[in-house]
Amino acid sequence: MINLKVVSPQKVIFEKEVEMAVLPGAEGDFAAMPNHSPFISSLRPGQMAIMSSNKVDESFFVSGGLVMLKEKVCEVLVDQIEPLSEVNSSNYQQSKTYQELEGNETALVTFEQVVNNPPYK
Amino acid sequence: MPNLKELKNRISSVKSTRKITSAMKMVAASKLRRAQELAESSRVYADSLSFILSSLAGNTKNSSDLPEILTGRENSKISLLIINSSDRGLCGGFNSNLFRNAKKWISDQQGLGKSVKIMTVGKKASSFYKKTDLDIVASFEDLNSNDRQLQVSEEIKNKIMELFENNEIDEVSILFNKFVSAISQEPTYQPLIPLSNDETSEEESEANNSVFEFEPDKNELLEYLVPRNFLTQIYRSVLESSASEHAARMTSMDNATRNAGDMIDRLTLTYNRTRQAFITKELIEIISGAEAV
Repeated sequence: MINLKVVSPQKVIFEKEVEMAVLPGAEGDFAAMPNHSPFISSLRPGQMAIMSSNKVDESFFVSGGLVMLKEKVCEVLVDQIEPLSEVNSSNYQQSKTYQELEGNETALVTFEQVVNNPPYK
Repeated sequence: MPNLKELKNRISSVKSTRKITSAMKMVAASKLRRAQELAESSRVYADSLSFILSSLAGNTKNSSDLPEILTGRENSKISLLIINSSDRGLCGGFNSNLFRNAKKWISDQQGLGKSVKIMTVGKKASSFYKKTDLDIVASFEDLNSNDRQLQVSEEIKNKIMELFENNEIDEVSILFNKFVSAISQEPTYQPLIPLSNDETSEEESEANNSVFEFEPDKNELLEYLVPRNFLTQIYRSVLESSASEHAARMTSMDNATRNAGDMIDRLTLTYNRTRQAFITKELIEIISGAEAV
């Protein structure tokens, strides 16, 4: 189990033990698992998936940020994050994330794609 | 002999002042709780970010490889001071303490042969520094909600990055009242450019020792991190300052309420004595009148 801590500039969003978390790193998706080598990366907009035994338990959209991995800790510093379950794919344009991302074309396109067809299901 | 009617009016006006100050105290206390929570919950992000930044900087052996905005310019001539004041008064020595501190800092900098520019946050600082001959590069006001605080922090960040790139400033510090406790706030300087390296805490040395892999490469990460770090530090100082403001207001309004109470007691005593004196005087007049008959 790895301790996943998701933090926004305002507050700690959640902190829990997970088996594996898949994150959208700047140069490709990667899985955070215990005993990963120490690693710091920035995030591109995309899906963050919390998984156990090859199934996605929870799914989020992150608009970007940073991640720091060491031994049993995975700290994710996000700009904005929203659970995908709270976004309705038919009217995702009304979601909070969409409104906050206004003006950032690439992130919006990614958001649309992730909502309609998340890479990890 | 004091006029009874005058005394009565005086008492009722002090009573209504007491009502106002005690209401302000309550409002400040509840706002303080909220501001304190915000300040504390934002700390996690800021700490992690500075950990990442220092491990990145620590990993780079040669400091000349680091961008100027992190290490500062060699011959720094112009310092920028960001002063975090409040929008409203009635908060004791909150602002005057800050301005006194800033004055000293400014003369110290000028003594070192640097020129000083000022950026003000809050109405009090902007109206105070308008009267001085200091160079004010920007003023921000009305930080009345959390969203607005974040927005202002973003604007300050953009402004200082722009000024630095145009060579209009070489150094940046923030001055704000650090929230120590509900009864004590401390004017504090936080250097932004160059990045402070006096915090050689245990955490920091750990950050310098652990070997991280970086993705993408360090320079690209720094490009992302440096503005983020500014934003976080500025936002944090704004939050601390707002917590301090409410704490200062709460303490000073508490004092004011207590003083008003004392004043009412004193006035009531005088009022009763005066009233009694009038009665006695009237009685004497009646009795001596009756005796004369």
